[in-house]
Amino acid sequence: MVRPRGTDGSLLRSLPWTLGALALSIAPHIPYLPIWITTAFFGCTIWRYTIEKRRRMLPSTWFRALLALICFLGVLATYSSISGVGPGSALLAVMASLKLLETRKRRDQFVLLFICIFLVMSSLLREQNLWSLPYMIISVIVIVTAWLRMSAAKSETATQSFSTGGRLLLYAAPLAVAMWIFFPRLATPFWSVPIDTGRATSGLSDTMSPGDISSLSLSNEVAFRVSFDGAIPQPRERYWRGLVLTRFNGRTWTGLEPSVSASAQQQIVVSGDPIAYEITLEPTRQQWVFALDMPMTWSLPKTFMGPQQQLARPVPIDQRIAYKAVSYPEYRVETEISGLYRDWFSSLPDNSNERTAELARQMRAEAGNDRDFIDAVLRKFHNEEFFYTLEPPPLGNDPVDRFLFETRRGFCEHYASAFSVMMRSVGIPSRIVLGYHGGEINPMGGHLIVRQSDAHAWTEVWLDGLGWYRIDPTAAVAPERIDYGASDAAFEGLGEAWGLSAPSQLLHKLSLTVDAINAKWNDWILGYGPDTQSRFMEWLGMQDPDWQKMMLTMIGLVAGLVMLISLMLALRYRAPAKDPAAILYRRFIRKTGLEPGIGETAERFARRAIQTNSLPPGLIMSVTAAYHDVRYGGADESALVRLRQAVGAIS
Amino acid sequence: MSSIPWPFPSPGAFLGSLRAGALARVGRWARKRQGTDPATTKLRPGRVYILPTGVGIVFAIMVFVMLLGSMNYNNNLSFVLTFVLFGIGFISMHQCQRNLVGLELTFAGTEPVFAGQAMRFGIAVTNHSKSARCGLRLYREGLQSDIHDLQPGESKVFILAVPTEHRGWITLDRFGIRTLFPFELFRSWAWLHMDIRGLVFPRPAENPPEPPPTMVAHGHRQHDARGEEDFAGLRKYQEGDSPRHVAWKAYARSGQLLSKQFAGADTSSQWFDFDDIPVNDIEQRLSVLTRWVVDADRTLEDYGLRLPGTEFEPAHGETHRRACLETLALFETGTR
Repeated sequence: MVRPRGTDGSLLRSLPWTLGALALSIAPHIPYLPIWITTAFFGCTIWRYTIEKRRRMLPSTWFRALLALICFLGVLATYSSISGVGPGSALLAVMASLKLLETRKRRDQFVLLFICIFLVMSSLLREQNLWSLPYMIISVIVIVTAWLRMSAAKSETATQSFSTGGRLLLYAAPLAVAMWIFFPRLATPFWSVPIDTGRATSGLSDTMSPGDISSLSLSNEVAFRVSFDGAIPQPRERYWRGLVLTRFNGRTWTGLEPSVSASAQQQIVVSGDPIAYEITLEPTRQQWVFALDMPMTWSLPKTFMGPQQQLARPVPIDQRIAYKAVSYPEYRVETEISGLYRDWFSSLPDNSNERTAELARQMRAEAGNDRDFIDAVLRKFHNEEFFYTLEPPPLGNDPVDRFLFETRRGFCEHYASAFSVMMRSVGIPSRIVLGYHGGEINPMGGHLIVRQSDAHAWTEVWLDGLGWYRIDPTAAVAPERIDYGASDAAFEGLGEAWGLSAPSQLLHKLSLTVDAINAKWNDWILGYGPDTQSRFMEWLGMQDPDWQKMMLTMIGLVAGLVMLISLMLALRYRAPAKDPAAILYRRFIRKTGLEPGIGETAERFARRAIQTNSLPPGLIMSVTAAYHDVRYGGADESALVRLRQAVGAIS
Repeated sequence: MSSIPWPFPSPGAFLGSLRAGALARVGRWARKRQGTDPATTKLRPGRVYILPTGVGIVFAIMVFVMLLGSMNYNNNLSFVLTFVLFGIGFISMHQCQRNLVGLELTFAGTEPVFAGQAMRFGIAVTNHSKSARCGLRLYREGLQSDIHDLQPGESKVFILAVPTEHRGWITLDRFGIRTLFPFELFRSWAWLHMDIRGLVFPRPAENPPEPPPTMVAHGHRQHDARGEEDFAGLRKYQEGDSPRHVAWKAYARSGQLLSKQFAGADTSSQWFDFDDIPVNDIEQRLSVLTRWVVDADRTLEDYGLRLPGTEFEPAHGETHRRACLETLALFETGTR
């Protein structure tokens, strides 16, 4: 019986680099991958390395096939689909792990390195940050080094491979930059595949249940950045409209899936001056598009206005997008609501929050008309002992009752919900708008930063002759929240409470600087799209830039650069200058008319030359003697002079 | 049930034959274009060819797919990645070709072999440039040398071991040097047509008939079993003298090689005669003769060789052996 043999250890020189490249390219995916894939990958990595190091056997074909089947089913079960970046990168990670177990030959590693490249690419599709570019470059350097290690000679050290890889990347860099600048960008995509729907939403939730969570997480993550064409509007005008909730089941407010409404935009009647701005929205993985209340035009393709004047797209926003919009802070939504719709917007579940309903009916009767009633409710919030807090107590059943009559502590959601329920109790149609309010001005970049902590909820009520009218009950409770915005309020409080005003101011300045750099990076590098590109082309002096002109410029530039690089390579590989003695001796050989044989010494050649009588023997002897002196006589300049004279004497 | 032979070649075989045909045509074209190369040839840029490898084609497809993806998602960092990879591919093409240009190839000689053994053609490759040349390999249809790197100024002999079948001259009319450096995306190569040949001796017969008996040439006396002869004197050693007749004591004294001479020596010698071999086939006869020569050379006996038209007097030594084997190798081939 032949004992099966283990690996021969021949991959030991390249395998660590390949494994390193794989680990580097999988790392950005780890937060999104199910834990079993990450475990499987690192398990396989360590296993494969041990096999190579200890000269063990690779697992059998059957075992690998079984493993492959299990992993494929696992991916299918986790994602229930195999298209998109999420399942795609999970599959790539699984493929890499399995391929590792059957990597036998040097060249099998090509597949692994190609998987690496695709993994790097898909991580870029998923997320683009300030650090994405340096990280990508490091990954590419390691991949290239691993690639060179595969075919490197035994004597070549890893450092040499690394520097060769780095050198080739340096040559490639100008080509890449030229192509990146001039390659025409498309305005519309060829196809739209959701990039990643597997991840939880990072922005607003689609529903609102005040009282269920007892505290709001104050994430400082940026939701979007806004740069205004003109002056930045006052904090109280900065209502960033998002989605609208219309149904209440006693605990939770829900909305409808976004749908197109042709009339929604026509209902808006504007007055006053428009505000033009550009929003760079971080990926939300939701369909809602945010804009200053109330948007009239927006530059985002395929984006529509829903029946509740909310903006949405048919596909989730899984990439950072930038769009221009024009909004009118002074507007009215003039629409007639009658019959069914009126009931719909004022419906409440039976037998819930009954004390609230009772109170509302009583206050309405006292007020006499709807507007006075609204004022009375807001006054109640303002005058009575209601508190604005980010950590309210949980509310349990009949949350509105408990909130209004017992706890009286809450944030925007609680007030919006309570207000809305009170309106509905007396038959006034109302709805809840979720979005952001406020934002912080970054003095370095001149833009507005709206963070997740700026999330806000307010209400809209429908009144005869006024249409849908915005009312923010939170403003009645915590006017400073509306006047200054959440970030400023939180920041001031925090700084003073800890007595850390000065250092935290400094820290804050620093974070604003990073934010300004990030914004510029987003605008010019990550957001380099058709518009930015043509603006840049015009700045470069191109008349009416179009894709043909850009393509031609790109080809010309690349051709020029390639010639330059080719020249540099040729210089690298040129022969070193011959020494003068060799040149002189070469001239002497030509004069003799003979061809020296392989391994023929100067002395033998001289003898042969004398025999053929091609030159006077004396000359041949003097040249040969001088040549010998130059070669073997030590560092003596005079020998070279003699050789020059001797050769010169021939002609 | 007998299987009906499929009348068409399999796709693989068909593609293979297409490729072989194309290669042969291109080879002929290159030969005509380049002519016969001198024994020392420097690779000019014009004769270094380059094509993408299979890996290179897959890489190109991958970069194209990445470009489409980047365009679709307007993802600027993946544009960067795509263009960097494109740049790497482009640079590696130039680097791959530069890796060969300027190399100097010199025929470094070869040793005769017996038919069936591999003829080892040595080609010295010299790197005259300031940069190292990596991953070089010589090849001929169906075989290749080891891979070597050449440091600046370095010269190495690459061995092409060509299997031999028949006696006579074997020519290496065409060979190539190629490299996949740096990324195996491109294969760069140059064809060389040097006038290189090596001599193949006939294959020594496996089971030869008994060699003819040792004969005593011009022996005047009966010599006894001990083989003692009359010592006649010393003369200067000549090539072919038996080492047993060297006067080693005299050598130790004077440092001069002298051979003992015997009067009326019984120089035991064999005659190997082409016409005496009891087989009909010429090649087999040559094969038997080769075996006898090789064996006789090992036993240090004098031997003579008689071929139609050629005769070697009994002698011994490397020159004699070589002359005999060369004659056997080239017998009736019409070449020298």
